[in-house]
Amino acid sequence: MSAVPSTWAHTRILLRKDLVAEWRTKERLSPMVFFVLLVLLVFNFGFELGGAALWEIGPGVLWTSFVFASLFGLQRTFAAEGANDCLDGLLAAPVERGALYLAKMLGNVLFLLGVELLTLPMFGLFFNLTPGLYLLPLFVVFLLGSASVASIGTLFAAMAGHSRLREFLLPLLVLPMLIPALISCVAATGVILEGGIPGRGTELWPAELTVHVGMLGLFAVVFTTLAWMLFDFVIEE
Amino acid sequence: MELRAESVHKRFGTAVALAGVDLTAAADTHLLLAGANGAGKTTLLRLFAGLTGPTEGRVMIGGQDPRRSTAQRWRLGLLSHQTLLYDDLTAAENLRFFGGLYGLGVETVSSALVAVDLADHAEAKVGGFSRGMKQRLALARATLHTPEVLLLDEPFTGLDRRSARTLSTRLLERTRQPGVSSVLVTHNVEEAAQFVNRVIILRGGRVVCDEPWSARDGALLQALCDHHQEVPR
Repeated sequence: MSAVPSTWAHTRILLRKDLVAEWRTKERLSPMVFFVLLVLLVFNFGFELGGAALWEIGPGVLWTSFVFASLFGLQRTFAAEGANDCLDGLLAAPVERGALYLAKMLGNVLFLLGVELLTLPMFGLFFNLTPGLYLLPLFVVFLLGSASVASIGTLFAAMAGHSRLREFLLPLLVLPMLIPALISCVAATGVILEGGIPGRGTELWPAELTVHVGMLGLFAVVFTTLAWMLFDFVIEE
Repeated sequence: MELRAESVHKRFGTAVALAGVDLTAAADTHLLLAGANGAGKTTLLRLFAGLTGPTEGRVMIGGQDPRRSTAQRWRLGLLSHQTLLYDDLTAAENLRFFGGLYGLGVETVSSALVAVDLADHAEAKVGGFSRGMKQRLALARATLHTPEVLLLDEPFTGLDRRSARTLSTRLLERTRQPGVSSVLVTHNVEEAAQFVNRVIILRGGRVVCDEPWSARDGALLQALCDHHQEVPR
């Protein structure tokens, strides 16, 4: 009998399989990117964008579109496992349920991060965002924001997957739970975008950013740990 | 490896799937789980596979709960009427993926594909395979790690006679290895006669018949199953 691979080795194998499948089908990334672009386009026509709108409503617009787009991706988290009962194949294999959660969660982080990075230039175009080094901390906010969404979203995607009303149930479960993280994401993004106001200080990491990023980090760590512990019960029944 | 179910009850909401099943099967036992639809056959098999837990009682594989022990799950191979394969991946990728989960090297993949006559289709996506090819690949996936216990849930469903015979021959090769046990759930009882050495018939979530079986006569086995399904206990 070969040694049973470690949880981390299983996580890597499961994640790699999801990335290969996504690379072939683009069935998660494409709808998410197009959804964000459409929302930005609608806001562009619905509001007078540019100028002060960038830091007044820009962060809210950006994160609203990311969170709603993430629901498309989250809905598809276990879609491949649903077909042909592949989930049974994984659960019968010597894989810790936690490894399955981590792989799916990391996959969701990567897909969401990809969407955010791909659509940021369009956001910049609509909102007259001045490019500059002051935007660098945005990547930290994107990473932690994506991890927060994925931590809760992956668990509830597994839970809603058993329900006939999953398309309705998932947003209903995820969105209220995400509000604290969403507030931190919007506030942190607002602080960063204000760095582009002419005459503002040129510091790369404004002091007030630390609180919001810290909150996001805490949210991501706490909910990832909780979801990882609960995943066993959710996935089996 | 020993399979054991002790006073196993399983309920789904108000529906009772198993109502106090006791069963012990030593190594080299080849069990047929027969019974009408809803008798609890697949539920019992899923419990042995560690896919779900009992509402009451205990299910053990080699003395441990398969849900909690990855080492015990390593010893199981699950073949179902569903292929448990990813349609978007190629045959080789599917086997490499599942092999990786069992800690096997990539070298096992090519020999497994040869064994099920799919070496020429290694780089083809599984989504384009016929039902018979998929089920052969599913067998390769289920037996890649040479499991000690094979759990077979209606593996012949949807196969034509020729494909069913091919699969049945390959399954027989696997289950006849020394130390290997199997649990077969099927409605195709005649097909099962050659595999099994013990017959368990379930009705309403209870065992109504538990008998050794040595005959290869499928019609006789079918008659036994029909008798226990139709006659009140």
